[in-house]
Amino acid sequence: MPQDPIGAGSGVPEVVPEGAGGLAVAGTGGGPLPEWTPYTVTGGAAALIALLLAATGSFSIVLMFVLTVVISLPVIYVWSRIAEGPRRALDRLATLSIVAAFGIAVAPLISLLYEVIKRGTARFDSAFFTESARGVVGAGGGAEHAIVGTLVITGVATLISVPIGIMGAIYLNEYGTGRLRRALTFFVDVMTGIPSIVAGLFAYAAFAVFLGPGIRLGIIGSVALSVLMIPIVIRTSEEILKIVPNHLREAAYALGTPKWKTVTRIVLPTALAGLVTGVMLSIARVIGETAPLLVTTGVVDSLNTDPVSGRMQNLAVYAYTEYKNPGVMKQAAYDRAWAAALTLIAIVMILSLIARFIYRRFGTEIR
Amino acid sequence: MVDKIRVQYAEELAQLEERALGGLDLVIASLDRALETVQHRDVELAELVIADDDRIDGRYLEVHQAILTLLATQAPVATDLRLISALLHVMKCMERMGDQCVNIAKLVPITGHDAPQEADMLDRIAKMGKQVRSQISQSKKAFAARDVELARDLVRQDDVVDALNKECFQIAVEVGDDHDIREWAMTMMLVARALERTGDNAVDIGEQVAFVVTGLFREFEDASHPVVP
Amino acid sequence: MPETGTEPRTTSGGPRSQATRLPDVNTQQKDKRGTHIERGAKRFELKDLNLFYGDFQAVQNISMTIEPNQVTALIGSSGCGKTTVLRSLNRMHELNPGARVEGHVLLDDTDIYSRDIDPVEVRRLVGMVFQAPNPFPTMSVYENAAAGLSLNRKGLTKSEKDEIVERSLRGAHLWDEVKDRLDKPGSGLSGGQQQRLCIARAIAVEPEVLLMDEPCSALDPVATLAIEDLIAELKGRYTIAIVTHNMQQAARASDVTAFLNLEESGKPGRLVEIGPTETIFTRPSEKATEDYVSGRFG
Repeated sequence: MPQDPIGAGSGVPEVVPEGAGGLAVAGTGGGPLPEWTPYTVTGGAAALIALLLAATGSFSIVLMFVLTVVISLPVIYVWSRIAEGPRRALDRLATLSIVAAFGIAVAPLISLLYEVIKRGTARFDSAFFTESARGVVGAGGGAEHAIVGTLVITGVATLISVPIGIMGAIYLNEYGTGRLRRALTFFVDVMTGIPSIVAGLFAYAAFAVFLGPGIRLGIIGSVALSVLMIPIVIRTSEEILKIVPNHLREAAYALGTPKWKTVTRIVLPTALAGLVTGVMLSIARVIGETAPLLVTTGVVDSLNTDPVSGRMQNLAVYAYTEYKNPGVMKQAAYDRAWAAALTLIAIVMILSLIARFIYRRFGTEIR
Repeated sequence: MVDKIRVQYAEELAQLEERALGGLDLVIASLDRALETVQHRDVELAELVIADDDRIDGRYLEVHQAILTLLATQAPVATDLRLISALLHVMKCMERMGDQCVNIAKLVPITGHDAPQEADMLDRIAKMGKQVRSQISQSKKAFAARDVELARDLVRQDDVVDALNKECFQIAVEVGDDHDIREWAMTMMLVARALERTGDNAVDIGEQVAFVVTGLFREFEDASHPVVP
Repeated sequence: MPETGTEPRTTSGGPRSQATRLPDVNTQQKDKRGTHIERGAKRFELKDLNLFYGDFQAVQNISMTIEPNQVTALIGSSGCGKTTVLRSLNRMHELNPGARVEGHVLLDDTDIYSRDIDPVEVRRLVGMVFQAPNPFPTMSVYENAAAGLSLNRKGLTKSEKDEIVERSLRGAHLWDEVKDRLDKPGSGLSGGQQQRLCIARAIAVEPEVLLMDEPCSALDPVATLAIEDLIAELKGRYTIAIVTHNMQQAARASDVTAFLNLEESGKPGRLVEIGPTETIFTRPSEKATEDYVSGRFG
């Protein structure tokens, strides 16, 4: 591998002896390296490696990435150490290692997005959004019923969770004291870890007691989802409420405002943007849950907008069933499944953007 | 730990007081010389006294400026504030006492050479001088020690000075018909008067001592309200 | 006109039986007084006030009066309890968990800690301005000034509100600076302006007493002097009590000064001396006071 320094300006590197007493001495082999050094070294190494791999027929992105890291890090370190001294060299090495680690962390996400977009756009047409699967065997059809189902089920779950969650957070932060508060906080923490299938079974069992076994309704799914959402809403809201500075409450009390009014008219509006973000986060968390909905809302092919009567399809279960039971025309079913996955991601992204917009537009600087 | 706070300020204050009270020493020296010129009619010494008053005036200005600076930079309150106010008064008194010494010194050449003298008069003037000298010294000690009793005692001493002053007046009235000796006696009367004023200033310093200690300003003895014996 | 009785009386400071302890002496007065504090009540009398945070006693046996139409300054070293005493005057002290009050605080002969007095009502008569300016961030300048009214009074027409807001902002010497930006956020003003806005907010509800907890400590010298001028003007209409760390400010701005002190850290604070400001600063009676104001003892 070539180790010639790329770029002009550096003379022949000299070996730098350590100063007396072991103090690190600044390098004398040409002075500080130019800004673009890491980029050119890494880029050059990557290009070279890619060529080599392609030539030997064993090209793969992962291999290229790994080899680039393995090779350019030592090169830069050594070069920097000679030119700039050990301290700066170590600094560069650390920076590059962190960047590499970040790259490793982000790579699966990028790869995932790439795959989903690649495969999902096959069926990202208007039919997908306007037709249900009713009467469809094989190709064609759409996921309108699933999309509407997801929105309805998640919407109802939000309607259930948000008041309960926010009021719970208000209790914990504003009114709770001592043992009861600690116990409640503990239970909320436990609830955040409940497996989603357990939530689903719980909701189903609860409704089955009254409505008999085998019952499948949209609202049962909503209840299951809200069991998962409520602890998240409580935790995030509690954190936001904690951030609201106490001196604002005191200012309200000093004006002779009763406590409940202080909470509703001062604390909540100040925390509003943060609370909305927390709610959005909890929605994003549950919108793709498959297991609880499988046992509560059932599978159905036609559009159903009524959560309290009949089964309701949703995107997560839809993607699952299309993949699991593709029927005769497998590819068409797989395409629909991928498109459903892409739709889910798109919905979550839209929600995040809305949350950001709300925060920026309505968020007040809390000092 | 308690003493370590505002050390510099305490030092500045102590130094200020020392310079101010040191001015009284200058006055005593000036007074001594002035009395000597009266006894021996030493014209050159008289001129020295007059010239030396600049030192007293200089001391006044120096302390005055230092007080202004301290007021502006340290915002003294309570006892410190009273002390500074008192020192201003003391400086004024010092300056006036210095001026009285100059007045005495200025009177000597007027008497002319070989003017006749009256031994009694001279004797009383010497006694007055000694008493006033003691008053100034005592006022300085009382201030430094914040001793109110010692300050009040200055009134008693001042009574002695006043009595001697009256005696001088009597002698001057009965001194005789000779023009020269009358002229001399009148001059000596003025000297006695200057000494009496100096004594009053020393009593004023004593009153400032009481102010610093008690926070109340009371005249020990007022000309308009004579103390009933 | 203060509302009573309709608001719930619980505070977060624990059950009410823990918040106050009445010695039996006061039961007769309680029957006579009823549930109202008279409008126009302006004079505070503290009798043997002891204030606790849980088991820790912050302040011991404070007895003093705060006279109407005067500025009373509370000075003393850190931790001596002056803010605690101030906050006990509008029943904010009990908002701390575990806080406890023993003794009496009489506002014109009514003990504000008696069982049938609503703390919310007390706080409407006794306003407070805090150390760091704290305008409500979600409200505009206008809304901030009107906050006390919007939150606690019903049935005011818009023009009545406008009038009160203008009056309060003028009273706080802020009107000219904000009259063209009444609907901009309150947090967009400078520190000194924000503090004056908080003062306007406090006086808009027409309290009788104004408590100020180191109102200038977060402000620059010019803003500080502006607020002191304002205080001098306000004392004509209100009783003012101010806690300050700044000796010169206490000397400049107050008519009466109370000096609180700790014997040693860990012990409760006590009232060492109270008197006309000019006396405290020219000839205090207690040596501890003398040492403190001269800066010979931090």
